[in-house]
Amino acid sequence: MSIAIPAPISSRRIPVLPKRGRISWFEIVLLAISLGLVVSGIAPSLQDVILLSFLFAGLALAWNIAGGYAGLISFGHSAFFGVGAYTSTILLLRYDISPWIGIWVGALIAAVFGSVLALICARLRGPFFILSTLAFAEVVRIGALNWSSLTGGPEGLSIPPMASLAGMVFASKATYAALMLGYLVFVYGITKGLEASRFGYYLFAIRDNDDAASAAGVNPLFGRTAAMALSAALTGVGGSLFAQYFLYLDPTYVISPELSFQFALLPAVGGLGTAIGPVLGSFLITPLSELLRSHLGNAAAGLHLVIYSFGLIVVMLYFPAGLAGALNKLTRWKPFS
Amino acid sequence: MSTLIQLVLSGILIGSVYALMSIGLTLIFGVLRIVNFAHGEFLMIAMYGAWAFSNLFGLNPYMAATAIVPAMFLFGAVVYWLVISPALDKPHLVVVFATMALSIFLQNAALMAMTADLRDIPPIFNRSITIGSIFLKVELLLGFLITILCTVGLQWMIKKTYLGKAIRATVQDGEAAMLMGIPVPRIFLITFAGGSALVGLAACVMVPLFSVFPSVGLNFVLIAFVIVVLGGMGSIEGALLGGICVGVMQSLSGYYIAPAFGQMFFFVLFLLVMIFRPNGLLGQKGAAMIGMNE
Repeated sequence: MSIAIPAPISSRRIPVLPKRGRISWFEIVLLAISLGLVVSGIAPSLQDVILLSFLFAGLALAWNIAGGYAGLISFGHSAFFGVGAYTSTILLLRYDISPWIGIWVGALIAAVFGSVLALICARLRGPFFILSTLAFAEVVRIGALNWSSLTGGPEGLSIPPMASLAGMVFASKATYAALMLGYLVFVYGITKGLEASRFGYYLFAIRDNDDAASAAGVNPLFGRTAAMALSAALTGVGGSLFAQYFLYLDPTYVISPELSFQFALLPAVGGLGTAIGPVLGSFLITPLSELLRSHLGNAAAGLHLVIYSFGLIVVMLYFPAGLAGALNKLTRWKPFS
Repeated sequence: MSTLIQLVLSGILIGSVYALMSIGLTLIFGVLRIVNFAHGEFLMIAMYGAWAFSNLFGLNPYMAATAIVPAMFLFGAVVYWLVISPALDKPHLVVVFATMALSIFLQNAALMAMTADLRDIPPIFNRSITIGSIFLKVELLLGFLITILCTVGLQWMIKKTYLGKAIRATVQDGEAAMLMGIPVPRIFLITFAGGSALVGLAACVMVPLFSVFPSVGLNFVLIAFVIVVLGGMGSIEGALLGGICVGVMQSLSGYYIAPAFGQMFFFVLFLLVMIFRPNGLLGQKGAAMIGMNE
């Protein structure tokens, strides 16, 4: 009589996990094109669009760490964006601290805000979570609007437009474009590192099955809080860069539901929970919405957003896995993992 | 003392109007298990409709409700057919993003058609009702009455009629309801359209009280979310209770604290409810833990 002895676990074929954290040829080509766009210095009208695409790609990636990898769908990320922007600007205007340092202080404070939000919403799922993030951002927004002595209230804050390296104010848009591309590459690198790391796998486990993850020894509360803090910190950095580029903080824009929705929509269109998705989303949608705005903005207020949102509805209904998912279906070698 | 009574009473009245606007949202959430982020824009469209009736035909908005409510029912049905129904069998985020995109779409379509100007209708009743030293706006009293009638009527409909029973069966177990021969997709359609019709009614009550502009929905939808969560998502009497709480709080904090911080106050309240009583005052147990639609 023989008993079938199962093979020891180590020698069994483990089902191959998707190769996460690897750099594909597609990413290298995309980076080369982006660098080319920055260095060659095309028409100034396009420079604006290009650098905004970089910035929003970075911001979408930062959102994606919470929304795509940890499953924390937040519609309150503009709060972190605003916190970052206000911190570096206030430090510069009041204490004459260079934004190169202020950015990181802003990121730290944004991370604290992110942790607070994650802890508040620890028990909430689905629509409850989404609505709480929305309410959290509203609290921050109304607070910023009314704390005039610190934030300048409804008038906002202006950074004096004097070009200097220490003040992170540049005369040429190409320099800004390089700065934004640097930010994008930085956030992309962190995302890729996260995908391959143990912490990244914790997040996937928490996102896909909370109970199973905690049974396997992963602490969901810690994972969620850390992911939200990281995502918030990176969003805060983006906020500071935004302030340094526009040199003006408009409190009705930097912390607004509209901006929060945009952070969430770009990865949703590009492909949630992938590294390349948010970048594709931003590279497609940011120029589209900017060009539509500049071409149609004068003809009829709102027309560009009508077209834009109509496109979004179609994409969401027919390509729920986003652009990355749709492109993966078309090609055999799945470059957009 | 009379100031306090005045504040509480007008808070209750305005809160009931807020509740009327939230009932559609909570109904749709309770049955379809989705949050309609375009709810505020439905309200905005219906308010423009009521404004147009008053402006073009000189009809008072309460009369216009006879046309607006069926029109919003149809509108809701069309939206359900075009956007909601195709999204229902996809990952639950698709509904969130699709309704959010719909909200941007409607808001900007309104901006194109109507420009950003504030629209008002001339006052209908030029005087308030006075009881002692307390003044109550007639429009608000009418709104309160309509809300109470609506809540009672809906409760009766859900408890007693065949349609109400079918809706309750669908809420309890969609698959079992389907096996019992209840056409669940049609129940969804009726609920969504019915919720939109209720928003139409709310808009007719609100037009004499508030100006209309393309982004008016955003202000109110946030209040509606607060009310719906406070009352427990899916609970109609909860929405009434939540609405009155929010109304009273808004009127008290607007008077005793600065109005702007008063606004912040109810978002803070919302977060506190989420931390300590995430199922709302009258909601189902465990609703917040499972997220209801996963």
